[in-house]
Amino acid sequence: MFDAMHTPDNVLIVGGSSEIGVEIAKALAKRGSTKFVLAGRSFETMQRAANEISSANPAGATSVSVIYFDVLAENAVSELITSTTAELSTIDMTIFAIGTLGDQAQLETDLKAAQEILEANFSKLAPAIQGIANVMVTQGFGHIVVLSSVAGVRVRRSNYFYGSAKAGLDGFAMALNDAVIKEGVNVTVVRPGFVRTKMTAHLPAAPLSTTAAAVAKATLAATDKQRNSVYVPTAIGVVVNIYRLLPRFIARKVPF
Amino acid sequence: MTSSPSPTSRHTKKQLISGWGRTQFVSSNLVEVGRSNELDQITSIFSDSATRFAIPRGLGRSYGDAAQVAGGTVIVQPDDIDSSTIDENGVLKVSGGTSLDAIMKKYVPNGYFVPVTPGTRFVTIGGAIAADIHGKNHHISGSFVDHVNTMQLAAPSGNFNLSATENADIFWATAGGMGLTGVITMASLNMLPIETAYINMETRRAKDFDELLSVMAGSDADFRYSVAWIDCIAKGASMGRGVLTRGDHASLDQLGPKQKIDPLKYRPNSRLVAPPWFPPHILNSMSVRAFNEAWFLKAPQLRQDQIVPLTSYFHPLDGIQGWNRMYGRNGFLQYQFLVPDGEEEALRKILEKISKAKVASFLAVLKRFGKANSGLLSFPAPGWTLALDIPVGASSLSDLLDELDKDVLEANGKLYLAKESRASCDTIKQMYPKLKEFSRIKEITDPNGIIVSDLSRRLCLT
Repeated sequence: MFDAMHTPDNVLIVGGSSEIGVEIAKALAKRGSTKFVLAGRSFETMQRAANEISSANPAGATSVSVIYFDVLAENAVSELITSTTAELSTIDMTIFAIGTLGDQAQLETDLKAAQEILEANFSKLAPAIQGIANVMVTQGFGHIVVLSSVAGVRVRRSNYFYGSAKAGLDGFAMALNDAVIKEGVNVTVVRPGFVRTKMTAHLPAAPLSTTAAAVAKATLAATDKQRNSVYVPTAIGVVVNIYRLLPRFIARKVPF
Repeated sequence: MTSSPSPTSRHTKKQLISGWGRTQFVSSNLVEVGRSNELDQITSIFSDSATRFAIPRGLGRSYGDAAQVAGGTVIVQPDDIDSSTIDENGVLKVSGGTSLDAIMKKYVPNGYFVPVTPGTRFVTIGGAIAADIHGKNHHISGSFVDHVNTMQLAAPSGNFNLSATENADIFWATAGGMGLTGVITMASLNMLPIETAYINMETRRAKDFDELLSVMAGSDADFRYSVAWIDCIAKGASMGRGVLTRGDHASLDQLGPKQKIDPLKYRPNSRLVAPPWFPPHILNSMSVRAFNEAWFLKAPQLRQDQIVPLTSYFHPLDGIQGWNRMYGRNGFLQYQFLVPDGEEEALRKILEKISKAKVASFLAVLKRFGKANSGLLSFPAPGWTLALDIPVGASSLSDLLDELDKDVLEANGKLYLAKESRASCDTIKQMYPKLKEFSRIKEITDPNGIIVSDLSRRLCLT
């Protein structure tokens, strides 16, 4: 259940080894969330994350369990729901923190890899989000956080597979919010700019870059107020929305 | 969407609901049961396989999540004042969904007042029993269930007649049991005979915490009703300053000539409506400080024998419909705790923390309790209770209240479940040592655990 400050008791992190997902979990544990399920592919990373989450709660009353989830696998969604509901009496909050950047140049020629990027970031992820939303509608409450990206606000030449997948995901999640809000379920779409994590370690940092901890903090500030979407940092929202409105012949010349 | 008709047709609607604090909105199936076949309908809800959980809801004045269950069935009973009866001894028989408002409208003109009323008259008999509510007369008269002779309880395992002699264990589990043992369909209670619909009130200003407590401890016994408004922002020498309003029902000879014409005329205050566009953030620590300053200075040092209508003494806020919306979209909570007699220093320490933290609270009310009753989860016990309305939003609020929980626990105090919206299971378990016994009795009335509220799930009550 949620308390009056909108702190959930039970939390599912999909993308259990995602740095942003784990930072959000740690912040929630610190505030008093008691049960976590991490769903992801790397047990080793998730186990480390589980320890970090447990020790984030000063009272030490946190339990974290780890389940296997590969968004590309067959039956992934139904298995995710079955094993999560076995662990949690109610799924109060779910953080979808899955994302794969891919190498744009490679994706343009390796079409199978391109398809997987679209699946992991959007086409197989969206049904998983819908599946959890359906559980929440039945239980009459819940909050879904979807990690989108500013890359999806206006899809750019430099990463248009990743960007278009995030654009699809973003649109899906915003409309899902409209679909379930009357059922007591909230959806918050988080659009970070460049986040310095292992996913981006090989890239030069972009201007207005941020950290996983900052994204976690902004995410919870947004979920507390049940906002539909949030840019992190706030300034990047202004920048990408100006960029979004630029005529294409000018936008094409902007170097990012 | 279509759904198959249920065996006895009921009026069901899926709806987003929350408590009075508007903090936790959930979707529930709201079922308004009818007057004529109330018991049958409640029984059919309990036996319906489509009912995942069920909880009764009165007028939704609990601040947190006591009267809701996400994804379950919320039972709303009819306000059925017309079926009520009163005998020559002032014993009222009344249905569970009837409000204190309706009771007062009907019986004050006949010379009877409710034995206990909280700060709002918009509570039902069922809710009053479920929270074992208290009023300004607790130090003299005890809490609501102290005036209840019998109850009828509709529960999943059957219907029970309850009194202090029949099914006494279920009676005392139901008193303060937050609706978790079943639905109260009928109750009989002792009304208070009154000569007039007025209160003879004394207003007294207390300059600081010590004066306030010593006046209350010293002379509360001389007044049937006593409560103090306390300034939770004042610091230093004036920390804990407040305004006491105490009184009793006015007798006929105390009324003025105009009032004497119709001494029992009951005038519930006119209902202004708080505009939905009321700008948020108006209730902040600045505006509250200004309000508190003005409120304190406006109060007389001592004013006696002021004759005021019942409503303006007991239910001033009921005059503004939907005042809870004025706290904006994040809603608000009420932190109400109790520390036992002898723990005045703990109370002082807590008040110091509150005034330092600058949590904006207009409505801070201090009350001294009298004797406790045998209700397993009843709140009142000899000591001091402080209730604060606090807007949700400040990120430091959670930590502050967690810290206050610890202070309350250390002083052997407790939190009021009807106001609760954020404590931990462990805290509540320590504050209510009779929870185990409560669970054992709940298993008699609800062996399959159908009766569940978001409060009971959040606080691990069952």
